[in-house]
Amino acid sequence: MLKIIDLKAEINGKEILKGINLEVKPGEVHAIMGPNGSGKSTLASVLAGRDIFNVTGGKVIFKGKNLLEMEPEERSREGIFLAFQYPVEIPGVSITNFMRAALDEHRIHKGLKPMDAAEFLRYIKEKKALVELDAKLEGRAVNEGFSGGEKKKNEVFQMAMLEPDLAILDETDSGLDIDALKIVANGVNKLKTKENASIVITHYQRLLDYIVPDVVHVLYNGKIVKTGGKELASELENTGYDEIKNDADNQ
Amino acid sequence: MTNLNEKKAELINLQRNNSSPTKKDLLIEIQNELNKLSLPHSKTEEWRNTNVNSILNHKYILGKKESVPLKYVNTFSFNEINADRLVLINGHFSDEYSHFNKTSGIQMGSIKKNQKSNSFKKYYGSTNLYKSNFFAAYNSAYAEDGIFIHIPENVIVEHPIHIVNFIYGNNQKTISQAHNLIIAEKNSHAKILTTYHSLSEDFTFNNVATEIICSENSDIEFYVFEGEGDTASIVNNTYVNQLNGSKFLSNTSTLCGSLVRNEIHIDLLGEYCESDLQGIYFPDKEQHIDNYVSIKHSKPNCKSNQLYKGIIDNKAETVFTGKVFVAPDAQKTDAAQSNRNILLTDNSKAHSRPQLEIYADDVRCSHGSTTGQIDKEALFYMKTRGIPELKAKTLLMTAFIGDIIEHITVKPYRDYVNYLVNKKLKGQEPESLCHVKICPACEK
Repeated sequence: MLKIIDLKAEINGKEILKGINLEVKPGEVHAIMGPNGSGKSTLASVLAGRDIFNVTGGKVIFKGKNLLEMEPEERSREGIFLAFQYPVEIPGVSITNFMRAALDEHRIHKGLKPMDAAEFLRYIKEKKALVELDAKLEGRAVNEGFSGGEKKKNEVFQMAMLEPDLAILDETDSGLDIDALKIVANGVNKLKTKENASIVITHYQRLLDYIVPDVVHVLYNGKIVKTGGKELASELENTGYDEIKNDADNQ
Repeated sequence: MTNLNEKKAELINLQRNNSSPTKKDLLIEIQNELNKLSLPHSKTEEWRNTNVNSILNHKYILGKKESVPLKYVNTFSFNEINADRLVLINGHFSDEYSHFNKTSGIQMGSIKKNQKSNSFKKYYGSTNLYKSNFFAAYNSAYAEDGIFIHIPENVIVEHPIHIVNFIYGNNQKTISQAHNLIIAEKNSHAKILTTYHSLSEDFTFNNVATEIICSENSDIEFYVFEGEGDTASIVNNTYVNQLNGSKFLSNTSTLCGSLVRNEIHIDLLGEYCESDLQGIYFPDKEQHIDNYVSIKHSKPNCKSNQLYKGIIDNKAETVFTGKVFVAPDAQKTDAAQSNRNILLTDNSKAHSRPQLEIYADDVRCSHGSTTGQIDKEALFYMKTRGIPELKAKTLLMTAFIGDIIEHITVKPYRDYVNYLVNKKLKGQEPESLCHVKICPACEK
């Protein structure tokens, strides 16, 4: 589904990604772990198409297409979804209107007609229940005045609405208490199918107790320095990143 | 450079044969004031960022009492709301196109026809309007006609009263003046909608002045829509006297025009008054829109609010000046002010000038001003959900000014403003705005 080949990216002349290689297949959950500043969020941003990063080398193939040539909105319609680490507040735009606009674009892209009002309301209700989103949130402006937990739930709700092929969850656990974390993880798990995939970016192992990965990668200094099964996450929990850092620095 | 004194003499000369309905002693006072006042120039503090040369550089003729084709007049009527409609063409009242309910107890019509009434004699020229600036004094000295509305005590007007202003140049450089007087007696309530349209290819200048008297516990909603063409300039002075417990809301939407200067002066002469002044402006090309708001808190326990937002495109330039004056006696004043601007291009400009003068010590006064570009983070966020850039921008900008439009309580008018704003946001030239061709209000 997703193939990243020797991806390099910089910001303001500073190289952050120094040759990433990664392959994600349908049905898989990949975790990307790593210490702060290793390039995890940059990788998420580059995949979503944030233009402040400059791709200096490599390729990203998504469902057979060159992802890096697409605008962020095209990537979304093709099936990429980024759950933001810090979801942005959009004053004055209600969640309902926001999702309506987004879903219409996705449907047009798939050659479907936009849903009528009744259909849309049914759909939104169903998805809200799935991710346990508070009913009163939908009339409110996107993320405005939301608590950290509400913002993250809203991300998972949007993911449920748009049904992406590949979801990238950028530090979705940050700022969440254990109850909110469970709800968010639960939502993500419910959305999992054999056809879709996710990349879970996290600093801590905690989230991976709830979203169990098939593959764990450790990113350090712009490169994937270690790849393993889900047990790698627990290993890291015990040893921390120091050992990996030392190994990588000594190479 | 225009010689200002010559230009002033020329403007006055143009109107010298007019007969103002103002009573004699007051008229002399006004003329004395006018003699003292100079046309605004680059050193005039209140006009620092607005150069009126684009108005003064033309030789105008006086707007005549023309007949505008009916289809244009109908374009700006809101049939659904069954509004009373008062039409001014080049500042002259049009009997032909105006229609209103004569049995409602509300006295309305032209200044000319109502100048014998007691309330006219009592209130015409009674505010400090003519002292505000040159154009207000010029208007007060020479305007012959305008709209007169008198809402008697305890009367609540159900339908909005719509004042339609046309400047119809017939392709000649035309100047037009109207002087309106609106009196709300005790406990009365009315919604007044004033819209401004130009029907001219050549340069026009509309110099409008409106006096509003809000008596005890009256409640006035005053809506202004300015959609004049690229060759049309307007100076729109409004002066409001508020007495005890009165409420005044003004909501101004300026979508185009060559040079637009809106001045609203509020004199809070009583206690427990509320004034809420809101506005949006959305110029493009080389349009210049200036909103000057001044609130004078003379008495304690009043509340005022100013909220103006602008989206500025192309090479357009805007000015917002928000003055709040709190007199030593005006304790417990609660005054808020906010001006926010989005610049869409590198060549667009917004000037924002909050001016607070506070002489009382037990008050709450806040002000804030922001000018920036469209929130790039929000834009990216929306794009990652599949929404294309143009649509995302439209959503963001609609939301930005949407809260001000939402305050409009006359639904067909609110729909109309929303319709035109959305059209503009989508980058479509709202033809109907500057050159009347279709009826957007009827399309709904």
